[in-house]
Amino acid sequence: MGGDIAMQFSAIGFRHSIPKPTWYNPLKKGKGAGITHVDLAITKGEIIGLVGTNGAGKTTLLRMISGILPLEEGNVSQAGMELDVRTLRSMVGFMPEQVRWSSQQTIRQTMTEFAYLRGCSVQSALDVLSLVGLRNRIDASLDSLSQGMRQRLSLAVALLGTPEILVLDEPFNGMDPVATDAFKRLLRSLADKGISIIISSHHLIELDLLADTIALLHRGQLLAHGTTESLQSSLGFQQMTELVLDKMIPESLAKTLNILDYVDAANEHRYVIESGRHDLLETLIEKKFQISTWRVVPPTLIELLCAATGLDRETIGMDVEQSSMIPLRTIGGEEE
Amino acid sequence: MTPTKRMLHLAFALGKERLFSTRMLIMLPILLLFIPGMAWGFADPNIQLPANQIPENATETMFLASIGIVFAGTMAAVLIAHDGISRDRTNGVLEVRLSQPMPRWRQGVVMIIGHWTSIAFPVTFLLFISMLLVGYRSDMWIPLGDAIIYVVAAMLVLLWYTVFALLASSIAREQGSAIAFSIGLWFLFTLLWVLFTTLLAALNGVAVGDTQDQGYLIFEGRLDLLSPNGVYHHLLETRLDGVERGVSALGAYIAAFVWTIVPLYLFQRRLNRLVP
Repeated sequence: MGGDIAMQFSAIGFRHSIPKPTWYNPLKKGKGAGITHVDLAITKGEIIGLVGTNGAGKTTLLRMISGILPLEEGNVSQAGMELDVRTLRSMVGFMPEQVRWSSQQTIRQTMTEFAYLRGCSVQSALDVLSLVGLRNRIDASLDSLSQGMRQRLSLAVALLGTPEILVLDEPFNGMDPVATDAFKRLLRSLADKGISIIISSHHLIELDLLADTIALLHRGQLLAHGTTESLQSSLGFQQMTELVLDKMIPESLAKTLNILDYVDAANEHRYVIESGRHDLLETLIEKKFQISTWRVVPPTLIELLCAATGLDRETIGMDVEQSSMIPLRTIGGEEE
Repeated sequence: MTPTKRMLHLAFALGKERLFSTRMLIMLPILLLFIPGMAWGFADPNIQLPANQIPENATETMFLASIGIVFAGTMAAVLIAHDGISRDRTNGVLEVRLSQPMPRWRQGVVMIIGHWTSIAFPVTFLLFISMLLVGYRSDMWIPLGDAIIYVVAAMLVLLWYTVFALLASSIAREQGSAIAFSIGLWFLFTLLWVLFTTLLAALNGVAVGDTQDQGYLIFEGRLDLLSPNGVYHHLLETRLDGVERGVSALGAYIAAFVWTIVPLYLFQRRLNRLVP
């Protein structure tokens, strides 16, 4: 991205505490899965899409960035100055995966409460409601809100006090398509104002369209971070072109192309080939082909994740069990 | 607005929410029966008590009526605060709270004050009603100094139980464990403590069951320092004449101080390490 760095996380790590009972100490705890040695530079106004399988450590990383979980290793800094956890929390707005706001409290009372917790004015907190489309429900009780509205309220709370970084964990869950679209536009406008956004989502198509850069997380480790193009080249991913023609490519020409996929439909022939044949378009026109589609096909986020981890789609999808077992140093065959 | 003012606003809002909750409405009749109800009963001039105990003044009547605080007041404190943290943890709100810049110790103070005041307010009101009832029925009025100690001691025991319940709530991962933990603790100190005391006394060769035996009274009095209800009664006994249970007034005050500081410290320590 090359812009101003809003925040720099250097070699941060955290391991969850898990029960490891022994016969002499049934309450014994040990170190479990977590995040190891993650370096992440967040640029101002950048939208980072955090991608990883279930149990990859996305939520843990987001909680660390939000100051909820302590940084057991590494540090966070801004303009070379190390930040303490309180400063970090004041700079980051966090929207957790799913908050089931429920009580007799109204939205107004909730926003007032969080304005006090955040240290911002109550009026500014109520103004945020207009931004997320909850202004007309200001006196509704939390019990009466739909899931989509609860998500909006979570976003409103995250936006309190004008954070420099917005951390969103699965924000599209429970939102209808119209709300999702409005939400994405809102995030883009916030990013344009200089707010950096880190967003984790399983809605990969939405994420791909929204994010400026992608961070690939697997087994608690950040494998890569960059734009789709830079990831593509750094991961040695081949550029692909999709073309749809009215007839089949002759065998002599087909031999010179690296055809990755071919579909013979009723009146058209769809090819996916490796990019790089700059003369191909000219050749096809000369040979009187009718070209209805010619486009570069970007790799999907799943393909990028597969390329980064070296695992195939099937394996990566079923890797949940192992993904919670980050590589650990062992002492005498037991986890340290 | 200063951080302290913000903290107080939050505590007030929480206290108000809990005070007017359905739970409080359910507990109010129980509190009414146990606090002014007991005071009314013990103020009966013709009352017959075990061991021919007859309250000779209003302070003694209120001391006997303090069992209402031990049973209903502390139970109400536990029921009000048992899900103070676990409910927020279950529905995800805790995560949002912990991500806020207000330091966790301040958030902890908000929780304690909010929950405590919500139960302290009605109990204080009912205590005053009780004192008036005792005065009206027995024509014996409690001296101001005794009344102050009586109310302060009740507020302290409610604070201790509130903090225990919040501590349990911070440890429990779901509502069931939170309530089991809190009620279990209340049960231990309120009902099982007598059994525990008797058992230990027997093991130490003290004459168990003889409530007039000085050895047993002193043993029980000292062991009561390990129970919040026991310390509460020691505080009340500082205003009674002729009570010798092996603990001086200073000892009772020190025990009350320790029972206040230690749970508060443990709760704050827990909150600082809390993971959603």
